This record gives sequence, structure tokens and C-alpha cells, in this order.
Amino acid sequence: MSDAVPVPPKKSRSFGPGAVGLFSATPFGLLMLFGFVAPLLCVVWFGFMPPKTFSLLQAPTLENYQTIFNQTYFKSILWSLGLATATVLILLVICYPLAFAMAKIFKGGATFVTYAIATSLFVSENIRLFGWVIGFMKNGVVGGTLAKVFDLQVDSLLYNIPVIILGMVYVYLPFMLFPLVLGVKMVPDQVREAAFDLGASRWQVFRKIDLPLSLPGVMIGSLLVFVLSVGAISEAKILGGQKVVTIASDIESEFTYAQNWPLGSALSTLFIALTTVVVFFALSRFDLEKLLGKKPSE
Amino acid sequence: MVESAAPILEVANVTKRFGAFAAVNDVSFKISDGEFFTLVGPSGSGKTTLLRMLVGMEKPTTGELRLRGKVINDLAPNLRPTCMVFQSLALFPHMTVGKNVEFPLNIRGASQGDCRTRAWELLKLLHLDPNRYYDKNVTQCSGGERQRVALARALAYDPEILFFDEPLSALDARLRKTLQKELKDLQRSTKKTFCYVTHSLEEAMVMSDRVAILRAGVIEQIGQPDEIYANPKNAFVAEFMGEVNLLDIIVAADGTALWEAGRKTIPLTLPASAGALEAGAKRKLLIRPEALRFVVPGEVAGNTVPVRILNQFSLGSRVQYHVEVSPGCTLTVERLREERSATAEAVLGWELADSQILEA
Repeated sequence: MSDAVPVPPKKSRSFGPGAVGLFSATPFGLLMLFGFVAPLLCVVWFGFMPPKTFSLLQAPTLENYQTIFNQTYFKSILWSLGLATATVLILLVICYPLAFAMAKIFKGGATFVTYAIATSLFVSENIRLFGWVIGFMKNGVVGGTLAKVFDLQVDSLLYNIPVIILGMVYVYLPFMLFPLVLGVKMVPDQVREAAFDLGASRWQVFRKIDLPLSLPGVMIGSLLVFVLSVGAISEAKILGGQKVVTIASDIESEFTYAQNWPLGSALSTLFIALTTVVVFFALSRFDLEKLLGKKPSE
Repeated sequence: MVESAAPILEVANVTKRFGAFAAVNDVSFKISDGEFFTLVGPSGSGKTTLLRMLVGMEKPTTGELRLRGKVINDLAPNLRPTCMVFQSLALFPHMTVGKNVEFPLNIRGASQGDCRTRAWELLKLLHLDPNRYYDKNVTQCSGGERQRVALARALAYDPEILFFDEPLSALDARLRKTLQKELKDLQRSTKKTFCYVTHSLEEAMVMSDRVAILRAGVIEQIGQPDEIYANPKNAFVAEFMGEVNLLDIIVAADGTALWEAGRKTIPLTLPASAGALEAGAKRKLLIRPEALRFVVPGEVAGNTVPVRILNQFSLGSRVQYHVEVSPGCTLTVERLREERSATAEAVLGWELADSQILEA
């Protein structure tokens, strides 16, 4: 830049597109600031307050974190992560074929399936879970039917790990299915046909064409379900009894029964950090931006 | 010229029905080994359906497809030794140019090294510098480059017959012409059988050894391009070949006819090739725009008719005139440049041998 072009004089008092954008974003920015950032900072700060206190204006301490590492909270964290991972994997297996059918085969029927599944979201999650309880409890719908029809005596089918996972799979199914449908829709039919025509078997077409091209949907669905189910609390409580304690229910008890807000805050902070790390690690493995940017032009 | 060669693909009485609608209706033809065969037809003529059956993506309702004598009706596309270049090209957007070309080799389990060598060769053959293109993403390639990648990928499959579903239709005219010639050269140098589908007869004429013209699921005419050009079987084929004049005539006695030209009825002399026709029969008289000329007073022509010039368009070396015989009846005339000064009134004439009688 030896013979630099003279810089044009700045236009005074004109609003560039940046300024307009910033102005339009103000309401949202304020909402996020007071509704999300501020409370989050409060929680983080509360984690450094002495245990069983209710004021933010004290000398910070690491006592809560020492408590967490000295006790068995890691078990709850592992349970939460494990249940969430299992939910994601099971949902992927269940939803991919359905998503494929909805995107490519059902045509008009896909709308019906969409409504049918979306309708289940109209009923509160807890009510649906209590429905399962009635189904699975001793002499419930399942046990009672088996006893009457087959003369088969079964004990309660509740309060075990499979039933917790069943509940989570059921509750979070729409969050996996709908992104997957969009993902599968992104795979052009002719590209699949071309691969088939070039000698690929059905399995090879799936592995080399369908899966990589629908990966954005797979990633979004998996992340959504993981983040939601890792903080799940009702499934383990309602269907699992106290068989399994998830980290979310640990945090809840600290804030309620134990009245130990600083410890609850510290647990929350730790868990948010952990989830963030897991999610960002997953995201870095798959270059989502690049995948989404590579949409075929056909 | 290649018709003597053994047929590689035989289509025998093939019909494809979708419900009550027959998209392809009792079609039969043979493609010879090493031939450039083209299926032409307007949209809805069933050419794409026919092609999809040939590559195995649809099954014929009745009839047989035979590849080298073997019936292949139920053979899935991935098991057929044929392959298709799609209209959309259907390149794999998540792979580089090199990986696209290598795909069929990879599927067959060829080693990394072999794949790369072959892809390198094919890219060179298609005038894509492998050093620049091998690692390029297909989405960053231009239209012409993508065509070449699709072609290289199809050739990597080493098919016995290569099918094309109008892959050039999305390109601009100049690039299309270049690629048409390259495609023809490629077919000659690889000695492969090409079967091309297009709606443009012009495109078919440039490249093909033989052309089949489809209308409403039926083959209207099949033959070498020159043959079809010289002797179109009916008005549809003639019209499909480009701008021609088709005159509605009613045969009268003694080699004459009456031309129903809009509000006028004009007596005409028919060409000797017409033969004996029943009086009162309705026919079309085909006259190519370049066979028409403006006659000066005293000049003799087979038929003459007074006209009014409506418009003239420059086509480069030639000029095209739209002339009106009577309200509601216009003709197209093509003459070399600077042959006449434009006056509104003129007399148009043509030699009898330059006109042809066709079924209406």
C-alpha cells in the first residue's frame, strides 16, 4: 500500500447497515442480558459463596467445589451423561429410518405423521410420564392385562434403568426426528440414484451418500436431545423412583431440601461447564458450518 | 454406418404404464455396439421414462430389454454394466472432484493407488488439469467443469453403454456446442456406445449416428440424421426439426392441390414425388425456409404466390423473413444476406422438387 488510495471522508451522521442492525438487536440483547447472562453470572458467583448462605456479598471461597470433589456427585454426573448418551444413540437408530420414510417415501402421509408426533408435545411431559407409571406399575395396564389374560403375575415394571431410558427416548423423540427429517431431505434423490447406478449397494449408498449428506440433521438432532436429556430430571424421578439420581435432581435438592444455594450453584456451574465442553468437542469433530455450506446447488 | 454392427441393446415391445397412462407404448429398437444413439422428443414424450428403464431405475410393464442377448428387465442399476449422466449431473457434493471420479472404482474395491491413477487419466482425458482439479471441491466448479467431472465419473465405471439424460441443457449455447463436439470425439476415441436423450433435435443431429424421434410414448421415426432431415416421415417430425413451413392442402385432381391459406384458397402444383393421391385427401406440404425465394417479374418457378413482408431478422450470414400470404397465414423465408432490397410487397416462389407431401 505504498501509493495508498486516499481514504474517502467519513460520511457524517449516516446510519450504516451495521448501526441499524445493532439498533434492531437491542431488545433481544437486553432480554438476553437480563434474562440469561446476568442470572448465569449470579449462579457462577454464588458457587463461590460460603455454604448455606443466601448473600452474594461475602468473601469468595472454593469450599463448595471441595465438597463436590470429596463426595460422590461424580456418580450423578456420570449417570446423567450416560443416560443422555444412551438416549441419543437409541433415538438415532429409531428415528433415522422413520425420518427417511417421512422425507422420501410417505409423501402426503408425512404430514400426518408430523402432526401425530407433534400432538404428543401438547400434553405436559410429566403427565405423559405419569401415564407410563399407570401402565407399568404393579397391577397397572401392562401387569393387569398379563395377569388377566395370560394368568401371568408380574411385579412392578417401574424403577429400573431401562424404563428410565424408555421414558427419555419417548419424551425426546420429536427433537431427534424433526431435524433428521430435514437432514434426510437435503440429500438429492438423483445423487442417491447416481451412486446406485455407479455400482454401489444399498448399504454403500447409505454409508457414503445418505449419512454424510444428512449429517447436519444428525448433528443438530443429537445435540438437541443430548443437551435436553442431560439435564432431564422427571424421567429418573417419576419412572426410576430413586433408583438413579441424576445431577439435575442433585442440584434441585441442594436448592430445595438442603437449602444450600452455594453448593447447588457450584454444581450447576460445574455441570454447565462440563456439558459445554462435551458439546463443543462433538461440534469440533464435525465441521457443521462446512457441511451446511456444502449444500448441493441442484 | 455402424448399423451393420451387432446390437448391444435391444428394446423389444417395451411398454411402461403409470396407472392407465402409457408413458412408453410398445417401443422397439436396437442400439448397435459403438454407436452414438439419440432419443429425441418434446417434454412428456416418454423419453426420460424410456431412459430410466434402460438404466434400470424403472421396470417395463411389458416387453423385454436385452443387453447382448440377455434379458435385463429386473437387473438393478448397480448390477448393470451401464451407467447414466444425469440431467442434474448428481455429483456428490461432499466429495472432491477426485473422489467423485474415484467413486465407482472405490465401490469395486480398487486400491487407493489404482483409483488415483485412473482418476488422473480420466481428468486429463476430459481436459481437466488433475493438478488443479483433483482436490477441488465439486461445488466450486463451473457448469462446464461439472459436466466433465460427471462424464469422467461415468467413464470410471467403464460402462458398456453410457446413457445421458440431457446433461447439457442447463449450459449456455456456446459451451453446449463445444461440449457436444467433445462428447462426439470422446465417443469415437473410447469406442463406447453412447445413448443420449434430448429435446433438441439440433443437438441430436450434431452428435448422433442414429436418432429416434419420440412422440407420446411412440417412436415416430428412427434413422440417420441426414436421412430424417431429407425424408421426415410426417408433419410432427418435420416441425420438430426446426423452422419449416407446413402448408395445409387438399389434394385435387392431376397433381394439383388447394392450399388453405388463412382466408384464401390458393391452387398449387404438387411435386412429382407425391404420386397418385386420392382427390380430397388432406395432407401437409413441407417447404423449408431456404427453399423459398422471392421471384422477380418474368422469372419462372414451380409455384408462385404474392405475399407481404411483415418482418425481417438478421441471422448473421442469412436473413430470415416473416411473410404474410393472407391474414392468419404466414411463412418463414431464409435467404442469404443482401439478395434483395426490402419492399413490402413481393412474389414468393419455390421449385416443385423442393416441396414434400407429408401425412397430416
